Amino acid sequence: MSTLAAAAGLPAVRRRPALGAAGWAGVLVLAALVVMALFAPSLSPHDPEETVGDPFQPPSRAHWLGTNDIGQDIASELIHGARISLTIGFLAAAIAVGIGTAVGVVAGYFGGWTEATLMRAVDLVLVVPFLPLMILLAAYLGPSFWNIIIVIGALVWARPARVIRAQVLAVKALDYVEAACAIGCRHGRVIVRHILPSVLPLALAQFILAASNAILIEASLSFLGLGDPTAKSWGTVLYYAQARNAFLSGAWVWWVIPPGVLITAATLGFAFTGFALEEVLNPRMRGRRGAG
Amino acid sequence: MWRFVAGRGAQYLLVLCLTVILNFGLPRMMPGSPMVFLAGEDVGFLTPEQRAQLYALYGLDQPQWRQFVTYVGNLARGQLGYSFQRGRPIGEIVRERLPWTLGLVGTSLVLATFLGVALGAVSAWRRGSALDLGTLGVAMFFESVPSFWLGMIFIAVFAAHLGWFPIFGAGTAGAAFEGWGLVVDRARHLALPLATLTLITVPGMLLIMRYAMLGVLGEQYIATARAKGVPEGRVLRRHAVRNALLPVATVFMLNLGFVVSGATVVETVFSYPGLGRLLYEAVLNRDYPVLQSTFFIITVSVIAANVAADLLYPLIDPRVRRR
Repeated sequence: MSTLAAAAGLPAVRRRPALGAAGWAGVLVLAALVVMALFAPSLSPHDPEETVGDPFQPPSRAHWLGTNDIGQDIASELIHGARISLTIGFLAAAIAVGIGTAVGVVAGYFGGWTEATLMRAVDLVLVVPFLPLMILLAAYLGPSFWNIIIVIGALVWARPARVIRAQVLAVKALDYVEAACAIGCRHGRVIVRHILPSVLPLALAQFILAASNAILIEASLSFLGLGDPTAKSWGTVLYYAQARNAFLSGAWVWWVIPPGVLITAATLGFAFTGFALEEVLNPRMRGRRGAG
Repeated sequence: MWRFVAGRGAQYLLVLCLTVILNFGLPRMMPGSPMVFLAGEDVGFLTPEQRAQLYALYGLDQPQWRQFVTYVGNLARGQLGYSFQRGRPIGEIVRERLPWTLGLVGTSLVLATFLGVALGAVSAWRRGSALDLGTLGVAMFFESVPSFWLGMIFIAVFAAHLGWFPIFGAGTAGAAFEGWGLVVDRARHLALPLATLTLITVPGMLLIMRYAMLGVLGEQYIATARAKGVPEGRVLRRHAVRNALLPVATVFMLNLGFVVSGATVVETVFSYPGLGRLLYEAVLNRDYPVLQSTFFIITVSVIAANVAADLLYPLIDPRVRRR
């Protein structure tokens, strides 16, 4: 078998791999963004909500990234925007992985028609065009911080549910779980003591991937004008840049590029961290995906 | 095979039912008069005749279940309702917009599939090489870039500054092109939205193709083919790629929702007159009837595409036929 594996270019010996360069790069980017969000008030040169200069100013010593249409400092807006974008990403991902883990564990553990029903629901969520549905819900519920979080969380749990269920199926077949069942442990105890601990690391990886997804979706919703107008995220900044036609003048260099770079950096940071973690934690993934 | 068909059919029917129930329930669950959510923000400006028309259309004076029956009946007869803001039946508006979205999404899907399959196959074949790592890096980048931002950058660079492409719309307003000139005009307007949508769709296809290829390349028949001296290029094309294509076909279906979602945002950035742009305009104007109908049509289109893909699947995978 090992010769065959070698011929196919697969690693013959399989050790648990370390996080890897890409993973560490992801962690580093995330750490930088989190620091930016945490220390936003002391890092930003101005109050993001105050008019601190003339409108449409190009970058200067006083305003690193110029000013927007009502004279607010764009750099300060972006630094404070990190708080909104990252918080929404984290909370929406928490909801998604919460639902996903619950569904995955229940489906995988109980099997039978419970599993069939739940997995049908997963397929269902995957078929629906998610952004139009989110736009519909957000339009009816009104643009608010929590509505955005709930809408995103309620619609991106399907992928985590699938991955978690697969892991539960694998764990359920292990001897110690069977033993626990044999000595008559109740379902709740088996799930909490034996199934959950083996699933949680994977849930963490899924959480990080969901956060990556959530940040991108939040940006899209905010860009479409469905974000909370009182809590400006990076997507909201781009919404105003688009509404004021910033991309037609020279302003796009400092008004359009920076928020997009930040969104991409956050999404990539989460994705690299998540994929690397998944590869470390999920033996079946190993050697198949990522930078081989 | 028949179990598979029935299962799929039931699933799509369920999605359709949920969509209808959601569309029926949302405006009636909201606080305040359902009139606002059924007629749009301008409800205060309606004439008495229009109010009467609205009542008749939705049967608002009847019990909920009668309203629901009326609603479903109207949908079944293709009646999507009336936009009081635009003063036109919604069906007419949707019919105008649908072809643009179909053109954009369809072309983009075909392009993205070809690119994704080719790049994914080469990437897996040269696994671990600089080419592979470079491709993966670029793919990860485009998967993480917000589509609307990419569109804005394209407009700024290729339309506003270089002037190679028009800035917005699907055709030059007021220009009476004919024949070849019309085609060129349409193509020039399509280029940037198409490029944006394709670039964000390729990574998903590429990663799945690469993953499937790596699986296939580990199979014994590949080693057998090599052992009996089949040229490398032939192993790649005839033995590896063909078998790796199956999961890509499945992902192609799952990707539809994603591409349609992407199109919504891309159309908005480029003011491309498709369904996505219509959805955005409806949100902007609080034109709830149009918002609902557009969502309904988008869902129906995605389901229809899924059904088509399901029907085609047995043609590419003989194993499904025998089941």
